[in-house]
Amino acid sequence: MKELVERFALYGAIEQYNALDEYPAEDFTEVYLIKFVKLQSARVAKKKMDEQSFFGGLLHVCYAPEFETVEETRKKLEERKAYIARATKNKDYYMTKKKLVPEQKGANDSRQDFHPHMPGFCTTSLNTSPENSSPSLPYSCDLPLCYFASQSNFLPGEHMDRASNSCSSGRNHSELSEHCNYSAFSPKVQVNTYKNSLPCSSGQEVITTSESVGRFMPRTTQLQERKRRRNCDHELGMFPETNTGSNEVVIGPKLPGIPTVDLQDDSLNTTANLIRSKLKEVISSVPKAPEGKSEDLHTSHSQKRRRI
Amino acid sequence: MAQKPKVDPHVGRLGYLQALVTEFQETESQDAKQQVLANLANFAYDPSNYQYLRQLQVLDLFLDSLSEENETLVKFAIGGLCNLCPDKANKEHILQAGGLSLITNCLSSPDEETVLSAVTTLIYLSSSGAGSHPELTSLPVVQCMLRFSISANTRLRNLAQIFLEDFCSPSLVAEAQSQQAHSALGIPLPKTKLVPQQP
Repeated sequence: MKELVERFALYGAIEQYNALDEYPAEDFTEVYLIKFVKLQSARVAKKKMDEQSFFGGLLHVCYAPEFETVEETRKKLEERKAYIARATKNKDYYMTKKKLVPEQKGANDSRQDFHPHMPGFCTTSLNTSPENSSPSLPYSCDLPLCYFASQSNFLPGEHMDRASNSCSSGRNHSELSEHCNYSAFSPKVQVNTYKNSLPCSSGQEVITTSESVGRFMPRTTQLQERKRRRNCDHELGMFPETNTGSNEVVIGPKLPGIPTVDLQDDSLNTTANLIRSKLKEVISSVPKAPEGKSEDLHTSHSQKRRRI
Repeated sequence: MAQKPKVDPHVGRLGYLQALVTEFQETESQDAKQQVLANLANFAYDPSNYQYLRQLQVLDLFLDSLSEENETLVKFAIGGLCNLCPDKANKEHILQAGGLSLITNCLSSPDEETVLSAVTTLIYLSSSGAGSHPELTSLPVVQCMLRFSISANTRLRNLAQIFLEDFCSPSLVAEAQSQQAHSALGIPLPKTKLVPQQP
């Protein structure tokens, strides 16, 4: 338990912790209750630690509002009300500001309490209004589409939104009950795959080109995209001449071929022939004129010199 | 969460929410309806979505779904309402649309989460500064809360106690207690579920 508490203490001060021996749990599962000083600590801890491995086992972390006192629940509800009042007030200010400066992009100050279970996988984007042709739509859609397309269990336990369901306490205390499963890996995964017919069937425009700025296109899609282009080009007959008689498809510009050398060609011997003929000249010119020997010698010297 | 850069995220958000609402209205699959409603209920947790949700009449969608036969849809709908009702504008809309009776009906649901959400929603609705709705503390409601306040369920007990302590005058509680012997008029009895025969 000590290691467990130490691990959770990374997320905030812990007020108290204890083992829950009578909590209904699976076999080989130990349950602990951890009460944080701050509610936000419990939220983060749950988000980060749920389904994490721990000493060879798997942690299940959930909120435990049943361990709250009345006062703690009351404080929790008050906090939620205060938060909404603050957020709405800021929103009003933001909206007013936006009207004054329509081109300025405001920061997203919303607090996302759900998180995507899968990394961004945007294959479609939605054009919401005709006037807005910004290609950055898919990027902004990234988060909700991910959540939507993910395998999510739509049990409200995951809402963590209702005050009664959310982190169990008021202002100062938050409690988490934890299942520490030491047995062999036995995940309790509830997966309800939602038929992802929504974005495509609702008649929204689908942008699949790579012109969308900053859009994440997963690798498989890129490969398919290339294949598609390749097939299109192939059909269009962009590569009418293929040296190979096979159906091998050539991608990209044709590289210049390596010229084959005909080793029997006389031109390869041009230099050698020149040298040989020069040698013959020199050798033949030496015995002819002894007077001119010095000359020849001179020339040969000079020739020699030239060679040197 | 990482900051979304440069672009205005709300442009895409409205479109996405619109798509969800359309899907909910058009689909015939109960599974899909449940999924969509759960998603909308989750979105209802974030105050930055409230203007869009009002614009898309999602509040009315939630209220309508409270009358569904499907218990799961009711559960998600009341969950969504519970999420967004602390906001003043949303609260006014719900009360003006006659949502109070629909929410009160949920108090007799067989589903625990539905009841918890309903009580929490009533707590939030009662929290308004300017004079709260008289129906919120009608006798049947108070009597129901009295029963809940002695429930074995800790969460229900806590919430009911908060409702009684913070929003009901002592005289009202006393009156409700004295009439406790009688049946709680005005609160519909839970619907009986036909249990399928086990082979």
